[in-house]
Amino acid sequence: MNQKADVVVIGGGVIGTAITFYLSQRGQKVILIEKNDLASGASGACDQDIILQSKNPGIHLQLALASSQMYKTLEKELDYDIEYENTGGMILIETPEELKIMEDFVNRQKALGLQVEILNYKEALRYQRGLSNHLVGSTYSPQDAHVNPIRLNLGFAQAARRYGAEILLETEITKIKVKNNQIEGLETNRGTIYTPVIINAAGAWAPSIGRMIGLKIPIKPRRGQIVITEPVPPFVMGDVLSARYIVAKYNPELYNNSESAAVKLGVGLSLSQTRKGNILIGATREFAGYDITNTRTGIKEILKNATRLIPELKEMNIIRAIAGLRPYTPDGLPLLGPVNGLNGFYLAAGHEGDGIALAPITGKIIADLITDGKTFMDVTALSPNRFLM
Amino acid sequence: MPETNEKIYICRCEEVTKEEIEQAIKDGATTLSGIKKRTHAGMGLCQGRTCQRLIAGILSKEREMAQILPPTIRPPVRTALIADFIKED
Ligand SMILES: Cc1cc2nc3c(=O)[nH]c(=O)nc-3n(C[C@H](O)[C@H](O)[C@H](O)COP(=O)(O)OP(=O)(O)OC[C@H]3O[C@@H](n4cnc5c(N)ncnc54)[C@H](O)[C@@H]3O)c2cc1C
Repeated sequence: MNQKADVVVIGGGVIGTAITFYLSQRGQKVILIEKNDLASGASGACDQDIILQSKNPGIHLQLALASSQMYKTLEKELDYDIEYENTGGMILIETPEELKIMEDFVNRQKALGLQVEILNYKEALRYQRGLSNHLVGSTYSPQDAHVNPIRLNLGFAQAARRYGAEILLETEITKIKVKNNQIEGLETNRGTIYTPVIINAAGAWAPSIGRMIGLKIPIKPRRGQIVITEPVPPFVMGDVLSARYIVAKYNPELYNNSESAAVKLGVGLSLSQTRKGNILIGATREFAGYDITNTRTGIKEILKNATRLIPELKEMNIIRAIAGLRPYTPDGLPLLGPVNGLNGFYLAAGHEGDGIALAPITGKIIADLITDGKTFMDVTALSPNRFLM
Repeated sequence: MPETNEKIYICRCEEVTKEEIEQAIKDGATTLSGIKKRTHAGMGLCQGRTCQRLIAGILSKEREMAQILPPTIRPPVRTALIADFIKED
């Protein structure tokens, strides 16, 4: 069966479905192609944080702030329960060195308009009980929130369908058609689709789509394992992270020499509780190719790390573990926008550990670029051409 | 099965009805894991030990049994107290 569309989006994760929603809402005829199922990639195997204070002060935090603003009305717009909650969040600080780095981080974030402060140990206990007494303190921001990522993914898809989008699941792309450096369409196992615009939103798999047209996209899968407890009464205040995660992310040299298993696996605390009461305990950050198995060492190191910070967790039962592939990029920023020299080909991938937080703003920016040729902020730093030139 | 007004629960842990499972299939779910994501069936305490076969049965009306992939089985295979899990080696 042959079809026609204004835009074809590749990838049915939160990013692809968000783009499909915002474009359809503006009257574009969009077809989304997903190899497996909605929420079958990272978006179905991740934490639920819309956390602002983990973002590097700069364009990353700017994007997150704009996205968090959009989240306030998203549930209504989608007419779908995405379990959004503005809970607040904190980052636990264990050592004076971490405190110093976090003080600087927080000051630079404040300058960009984020409400965030440093708390001492006693003050931190007012927000989160059970904190180990070796902690120095924490940060706190009332602006952090969370959302059920699977519901978000399904909600974007359902709302997009209401605006006329077509979503093709279990569909394989066999060829991308290009003529005179202009996208013409693509071939799938279900037939040919003619379109002048293709958006590669295949997350960690974006490079394989790039290869079909000779593009070398520098995204790598970075595995994250998460352990899930049985449902328990409210225990976690919102999003709880550890400064070690932030410090390791932006100052990797501080931990590079360490031989410990936890450091090798990139373990950093990420704790939150679902509406049903399950606590999500994360996570590792490992380069293990496209392997999404959970490992015993991974699970164990995650739990050791979490119970070191909040010993009370020891009394809880774990019922399962999940693993997903974050789309890692060399500079930690996503690749958003058109590709030079190939008219009609766009990238919207590489959100690493922030794709849930950044899904709405990504959808809006890509929809703006496609319908108006510009957007509300300077996105040059996100252009895929920074790697593809 | 006789027609009744009572809801038929397929997954007891998460209280998911047959109707909800059929709706998930209409929405595009074609695998056990697709059903799980849309309804939470099989995500409860027993982790699908009871309902998995019932759901596969409902799915098989739409699909060949062989195409119904088992959902990913992952460690920990059984419920475990965190204190015990971090002790053992
Ligand atoms: C453990 C863990 C914890 C995380 N925690 C958070 C968090 O708390 N907050 C946050 O903001 N982010 C978090 N993230 C990051 C977040 O999950 C990702 O950034 C986000 O899900 C990426 O979305 P995506 O749509 O780009 O990719 P995906 O969800 O991976 O979607 C890509 C889709 O493309 C499809 N695809 C692949 N190849 C093809 C093809 N050839 N044709 C068609 N389709 C194809 C795949 O099947 C997949 O469905 C976490 C990630 C992990 C792993």
